[in-house]
Amino acid sequence: MIPLSWYLAVAFILIGLGAYGMMVKRNLIRILIGAEIMGNGVSIALAAFALYSPVFTLTGQALIILMISVAAGHTALALVLMLAYNRRYGTVDLGRPISQEEKINV
Amino acid sequence: MQGFESLFESVEFLLIAGIVIVLAYLALEHKEIVYAAFFFGIMASFVAGFFLLLEAPFVAGMQIAVYTGGISALIIFGVLLLPRAQDSTLEAIESPRAKKIGILVSGSIVFLSAILALTFPWSEAIPEGTIESSLDVALLAEWLWSDHGVYVQIIALIIVTSLVGVIALMKMDKAELMKDITGEFGIEAKPLPEEPESEEAPEAEEAAESEVSEEVDE
Repeated sequence: MIPLSWYLAVAFILIGLGAYGMMVKRNLIRILIGAEIMGNGVSIALAAFALYSPVFTLTGQALIILMISVAAGHTALALVLMLAYNRRYGTVDLGRPISQEEKINV
Repeated sequence: MQGFESLFESVEFLLIAGIVIVLAYLALEHKEIVYAAFFFGIMASFVAGFFLLLEAPFVAGMQIAVYTGGISALIIFGVLLLPRAQDSTLEAIESPRAKKIGILVSGSIVFLSAILALTFPWSEAIPEGTIESSLDVALLAEWLWSDHGVYVQIIALIIVTSLVGVIALMKMDKAELMKDITGEFGIEAKPLPEEPESEEAPEAEEAAESEVSEEVDE
């Protein structure tokens, strides 16, 4: 049987990669992908605990199901916020929003 | 036979782990954002492989249906609706200091978590108890819908709230783009701007009418 620490190592690597994407990238879609990768890492850690802890089996799986459902809702919300950001500032660059005057001049 | 099975399982785990980490890196670093979204979708389906290894086939199916089928498709739609997102010049923060801080913080998250994962005595921390069958979907449904139904209702409320928020945001966005309603209808209607009266207008109309009547006579 694969040790629990192996699964946790993969989960933490995914969480770290997602955090890297969220902190270093400026493109809003990349930031969303980073957040989703972090969510996948958390799911793997929960599933591993669900298998290795006998009293946590069903609870862990049910939590992952609820987490996946919420992930779909928050992705839709994030995309609409991106559309609103793009309409208001004319870009999806989080680092440098274009002002209304600049947008008119362009 | 037992040894061969555990070896096969380890090889499977290492293969899936390698593919998932490489695909996650490509999803963040690939120049083309459309390819990045595709890589994310493939990564999500390989994460389902982990769930199969962890004896959670229902969760694996849900992962493929929602993440690969739903969320990655939603991200691709987002890329299509936001053409500026395909601009590869805005891939990373320009300031090298901020980039270094980002890499340092995420690296320290991985490092500290890896230390925790590898050194913590999990076997002592995990309580002993009766083993529940993780493969039985009926037990899972009973846990979700009859024993802890309130959690499902709370999650449903959260999702409904987020969807109402999505619709409200879209409506607000459209309302900002709309021009003022003008005309003689509606309570919020603004009065039509008054046209300036010109003295030459009646004469011009008479001249035009006479020209038309001449053409008809001919």
